[in-house]
Amino acid sequence: MSVIKVENITKVYTETAVPVHALNGVSFEIQEGEFTAIVGPSGCGKTTLLNILGGLDHPTSGRVELINTDITEMKDRDLIDFRLNNIGFVFQAYNLIPVLTSLENVEFIMLLQKVAKKERIERSMNLLEQMGIADKANQRPSKLSGGQQQRVAVARALASKPKFILADEPTANLDSVATSNLLDMMAVMNREEKVTFVFSTHDQRVIDKARRVITLEDGRVKSDEIRE
Amino acid sequence: MILKIAWKNVWRSRGRSLVVIGAIVVGIWALLFGTGFMNGFMVSYMADIINHDVSNLQIHNPEFKNDYDIKFYIPDGIKKAEEVRKWPGVRGATTRTIVNGMIASARNASGVQIRGIDVQNEAIVTQLDSLISEGAYFEGIKKNPVIIGEKLAEDLKVKLRSKIVLTFNDGNGDITAAAFRVVGIVKSSSLKINGLYVFVRQEDLLRILAIDNQVHEIAMVTGSRIDEELVVNKYNEKYPGDLAESWREIAPELAFMEEMYSQMLYILLVIIMTALVFGIVNTMLMAVLERMRELGMLMAIGMTKLRVFMMILVETIYMSIVGAPLGLFVGWLTIRYYQNAGVDLTEYSEGLAAFGYSSILYPYLEADAYIVVTIGVVITAFVGAIYPAWKAVKLNPVEALHKI
Ligand SMILES: Nc1ncnc2c1ncn2[C@@H]1O[C@H](COP(=O)(O)OP(=O)(O)OP(=O)(O)O)[C@@H](O)[C@H]1O
Ligand SMILES: [Mg+2]
Repeated sequence: MSVIKVENITKVYTETAVPVHALNGVSFEIQEGEFTAIVGPSGCGKTTLLNILGGLDHPTSGRVELINTDITEMKDRDLIDFRLNNIGFVFQAYNLIPVLTSLENVEFIMLLQKVAKKERIERSMNLLEQMGIADKANQRPSKLSGGQQQRVAVARALASKPKFILADEPTANLDSVATSNLLDMMAVMNREEKVTFVFSTHDQRVIDKARRVITLEDGRVKSDEIRE
Repeated sequence: MILKIAWKNVWRSRGRSLVVIGAIVVGIWALLFGTGFMNGFMVSYMADIINHDVSNLQIHNPEFKNDYDIKFYIPDGIKKAEEVRKWPGVRGATTRTIVNGMIASARNASGVQIRGIDVQNEAIVTQLDSLISEGAYFEGIKKNPVIIGEKLAEDLKVKLRSKIVLTFNDGNGDITAAAFRVVGIVKSSSLKINGLYVFVRQEDLLRILAIDNQVHEIAMVTGSRIDEELVVNKYNEKYPGDLAESWREIAPELAFMEEMYSQMLYILLVIIMTALVFGIVNTMLMAVLERMRELGMLMAIGMTKLRVFMMILVETIYMSIVGAPLGLFVGWLTIRYYQNAGVDLTEYSEGLAAFGYSSILYPYLEADAYIVVTIGVVITAFVGAIYPAWKAVKLNPVEALHKI
């Protein structure tokens, strides 16, 4: 089943003195269970593309279909709900609520989904365990390393049972050990739980772990290879 | 959990939250103390004038007010005073025979109002006896005793037992003079009692005036919870030939001050609340801008704008929940302390005394003032939080997330 389908999307930033053409007609389709990297040099449009895929931003033209729903015309209010129930987000930084513990951070998104308390705690603990940070459940983010924080963020993204997870340079602030740890865990979740991941990076070691690599250049798809 | 996050957010930037809480505490305190202080100012001043001079209401011959001539007396005034004394709500009534004249000592002379008073009832109505600072209340001198104010005594350079001469027109229009001896000196913040009135026994004055039982004024005090206007109306209906008036009509300057005072309170209220609103808007706005990326993240992962808005509001509410009781407590303590100790304004009292104020103030506050002030400040805090919360909601998650 196709979870993401974009057709000829463009994005022009017009607030700047000179309009910036960040995306110039991008089309592709991502199926359920994929483990896809969006790669390319800085400024090629990765973040812009992921924001559009996540319904955080609207394309200037083109069509975005997520889980067979056209979100291009969706109202912001409905988009918030759509995001909450269908998309998991992992950002480069500032993923977690600093005043809450790891467990509470994971629980939080299920709370927004109005999941019952017992299930929330059970599922949060399970996910933290799967991400190998159960021992940090009651720690606040400031007490965790960057890699541990990103693992909590992935656990949080998984907690909402999304159809796919978008991660914009999740390893950009991590050292090589933490980077490969995080990627391995994402790969395990992808293989065993069939969770669809789409992440952007320009780190070669991360690219090597992807099963599909979409390369952007100047806002266009330069190559799209599937490796098995 | 939003409540929990909000609560934790309050303590995240301790210093800033303490500023807001402090502002709420100071705001409530300032309002309570300001109100109490001004209450004390007004109450002590007005109480002085009403209790010792004007009384709650007075009755005159309608002509008497235009022309202080002794022929404009209240017909059957003494009988009427006896009657109204028995009316419900009336605590006391006293009669006065009044004539304007001159007082002269060996050293000096001055224009005065000579008040022939009913010694016993005057003590009930104006507590004139309680104002005696030297000498006694018509005791110790048998023939023609007189009580004068401190300032008048100073001007005339007279002491206790000094002889003075009162000169005035008698009932036949002839000028007459009589010697009196100072039996007591009274001290009051009222300028009239201090320097204008001369108190003599009614029977002495009537005798010298050569008239029978004619009184020009009946002054009455009512119970503290009685509306004096009701008594005024009752009297005026029963005796339409006389004129009964409440202190508001007799001393319009007092009624004016009462109004001024509530306006000043209102201004104080507006100033403090405005300062509070600005303080809260400022700090909460900082709190929002500082957490922009976090708020952006929350909205990106699916937190609705309404929830974000509520979260910021609840943070402010928490701070007022912490600040309000503290402010109330501190305000209450301050008022309690000064209620007993009084605020000594002696340093400034020369100026105040000129206006007739007493120099030690006893702030006082009614219970509902605490409630009103608290509600006002909490609402103010609320209003102050709305703009920052609205600002938070207006954040675009994408832009907020990418602000470095
Ligand atoms: N809000 C914006 N306003 C104007 N121009 C923007 C905005 N966001 C991005 N751009 C421009 O659009 C282009 C694509 O930016 P984008 O952030 O998508 O690239 P990226 O591939 O994510 O880069 P990086 O690897 O540095 O994160 C860049 O030229 C960038 O300067
Ligand atoms: Mg980027």
